[in-house]
Order: sequence, then structure tokens, then C-alpha cells
Amino acid sequence: MITLNQVSLWRRTQEELTYDLKKTILSLLEGRYHRPVKHRILNDINLSILTGEKIGIIGANGSGKSTLLKVIVGILEPTLGSVKTHGRIAPLIELGAGFVGDLSVVNNILTYGVFLGVPLSTMRQRVSAILEFAELEAYAKTPVKALSSGMTARLGFAIATDVQPDILILDEVLSVGDERFKAKCQQRMQKLWQTQTTVVVVSHQMEFIQAACDRVIWLHQGQIQQVGPAQSVIEAYLATAREQQRYALN
Amino acid sequence: MTGIYTALFGAEFASYYNDSLLSYAMAAFLGLIVIHFFSASTTQALTSIVSNGTLLNKIKLPLSIFPVGIVTANTVQFTTGVLPLVLFLTLLKSGSWVNMCMVILPFIALIIICLGIALIVSGLYVFFRDLQYFYELITFSLWISSPVFYPPDIVPEAIQPFLKFNPLFIIIDSIRQIVFSSHVPYWSVVFSSFSTALLILAIGLACFHCWKTQYMDLL
Repeated sequence: MITLNQVSLWRRTQEELTYDLKKTILSLLEGRYHRPVKHRILNDINLSILTGEKIGIIGANGSGKSTLLKVIVGILEPTLGSVKTHGRIAPLIELGAGFVGDLSVVNNILTYGVFLGVPLSTMRQRVSAILEFAELEAYAKTPVKALSSGMTARLGFAIATDVQPDILILDEVLSVGDERFKAKCQQRMQKLWQTQTTVVVVSHQMEFIQAACDRVIWLHQGQIQQVGPAQSVIEAYLATAREQQRYALN
Repeated sequence: MTGIYTALFGAEFASYYNDSLLSYAMAAFLGLIVIHFFSASTTQALTSIVSNGTLLNKIKLPLSIFPVGIVTANTVQFTTGVLPLVLFLTLLKSGSWVNMCMVILPFIALIIICLGIALIVSGLYVFFRDLQYFYELITFSLWISSPVFYPPDIVPEAIQPFLKFNPLFIIIDSIRQIVFSSHVPYWSVVFSSFSTALLILAIGLACFHCWKTQYMDLL
């Protein structure tokens, strides 16, 4: 269960950052210092997602999809409004980030699991199952930095789906690995889909969203443009995109 | 390092330590332990939040876990490495079990100071990525203004009060008092080192908490 109540978020944009003590002091002395400008990334978002619902989020690049996920996960706190979630959240944002390159695959599985809120003893029992699913048994002792990017992604997917979360957050992660592994992932996703797991997924693959999600949210410049059944929202979104393209061509 | 200091300054400064070269070497050693622990743990903590930025962008974690974790790791390293030696030396030198147990107190105060400073610098580093170079300068000036290889008595009296502003000065001072004197430790020194430590920790926590909301925009 996820409830967002009138959530708005202001953030400093990346190009505003100075990151520099020397420059900041100099600009203070010269009187050119100005407070960092904040931009509104999310604007008055009201949303309630029921337990077991599968939600898709679509929208153009920079419309705030990933930011919305981060607010749901609790990484970012909303400037205004409130977010309430029940149950364990397993985020799958930007696969592969969060591994420590120097640690072995097994140790990474353990730390990752603990980060996701699973007790260490439980994680120990699950290590072999995770390795098996990721097809990395032979690499158990290898440091993660020695793995290929596909292998790292497989590992991330295997861990996050193995900890049996109540809420699973997916951000463009279904294009993992080779064709064979993709089929395997889809099987596991289907299994997850049948359980009571709440899934929030961001994707640009409209066919996937349409097939997999009960409800779709269309974000436009940080605001909810439309919420509703998958098909109608996707059609409206695609129609607007085509419209804009035609407009640009003329 | 202790050997180098003893060779270079031992003959000159031994008169401040009952004309014993060994005592000077021990005093320098105790000072070095403190300063090394401080600079190692805080310098490592400095980058801890930023270098885990990708992880923090992925999973919700309490931000303070990284600087605190670094200081804890250094503490474990210290207790398994140097601490037994310090305890042994204290027992040897003071000949009192009470002093041997008491010598742990200033080290606890040192850890608290390191926690406070670690919280401050790791938070500041999120905003100012060139802080590393400034911080090197700061640790160096702390090191040079702490009586590590010189006895505090050689500092001109007019300047001595200013040395007390260096929190490490108080720590080193109280450790040496406990190790070298055979009678019960000076409670006032232990007390003042603890109050300084707690003050620094409080400032660290306050700063960290104030800045916390802005960290995620910059990682």
C-alpha cells in the first residue's frame, strides 16, 4: 500500500552545483554569491496504490518518473505533502549500482540483502539460490568488479527479486542480460505478478506496460497528466507524442 | 616514526621527561597514536558519504551510517592493534592497575571527538568537493600544534592558552598524565576532555542534521 498526498518536490538541479569551497568563498567575497536556485520536479501528486496492484509510470524523459520512484522508496523526502508506505520495499533503480567492486560476489549478496532490510542469517541461507538464478555459481569468490556488466545486472535482478519484497520498484531494468536470461527473468516476473506483491514500474516499452500493468500513470513535467487503465492512457500518451512530432516536423 | 623523533629530538627534550630517553620515546609514541587515529578516521570519513552516493540514490539508508561506520572500523583496528601495547606500557610505567584501566577513558573521548568531526567533514564534503585539500592542511596544523614530539612546556607562556583550544591537546595531555604519574589520574583533565568531546559530537550531530535534507540533491 502506497499513499502519496499532495506531494511536491523542489530540487537543486545538477548544473547549479558548484562543489567548490574556493569558488564559493571567492564569490562570497566579491558579493556575487546567490542562493542555489531550486526547481520544482514534482508538482502536487496525489496517488494511492493498493496492495497487489501493478502500476506503470510513463512519460517523456525528465518528466520526473525516476524522481517519483525515489520519493516512494523514501530516498528523497518531499518538500510538501506526505508519503506513506506499508511493507518492505525492494528498489531496483539503476541496476548494478550499490555493489562494492572489491568484495566477492557472495559478500555483495549479503551486504545488498542487509541493505534491503533482510537479516544476515536469512541472507546466508539464500545465497546459493541467488547464485543459481544469476548463473554465477562459478564466480562466487570473484570480486564484483571482475564481472561483466551483464553479469552484474543479472546479480542485481536475482537479489532484488529473491528477497520477496512487499513492494517492488523497477526502473527500466527488464532489458537485462542475453535473450535466454531475459526469458528467465520474465518467468520470475510473472510469478511475482501473481503474488500479492505491489509493483511500480517505469518503462518506455509500451507493449510491456500494456501487458503487465493494471493501471498506468502518465507524468508530464512533474504533474500527473492522466491515470487510468493501461490501454487508454498509453493511447493518449502516444497520440500526444505523435502530435508533437508532427508539429516539430512542420 | 617514534624512532625518528627520538633520534632527532630525544637528546634535546629528554630533560623534560626526567632525563630519560625512553620516557621521551613513550611520550612521542602516545602522541603519535592519538594524532594518527584522528587523522586516519576523519580523512577516511570525509569522502564516505559522497563515495557511496550511488548506493544512497538506490536504497534508503540512514546517511550517518557511513562516517560512523568508518570511525567504528578504525576503533576496532585500534583496540586489536595498539591498545594492548598502550595498556602494557601504562602498567609498566605507572605500576598501577587503576591507571591501566583509566587510560582507556581519554581514548574513548578521542573516539567521540572523531565521531563529531567525521560527521561534520563528511557532510561538508557533499557541498565542497575540494575540501580534501583544505582538510589536509587543517589536520597538519592540528598535528603541529599538538605536543606530539615536543613537550608542551617549551611553548611560550603567552601562546599556551591557545593550545587548549586544540581538542587533541587535552587528550594527549591526559593520556600522558595517566601513563606517567603513579598516583590516581587527574579527574579534572579527564572531565574536561570528555566535556570537549561531547561538545564536538553535539555540534557534529547538529550540523549533520541541519544539512541532511540537502545532501540527496547533490549526490
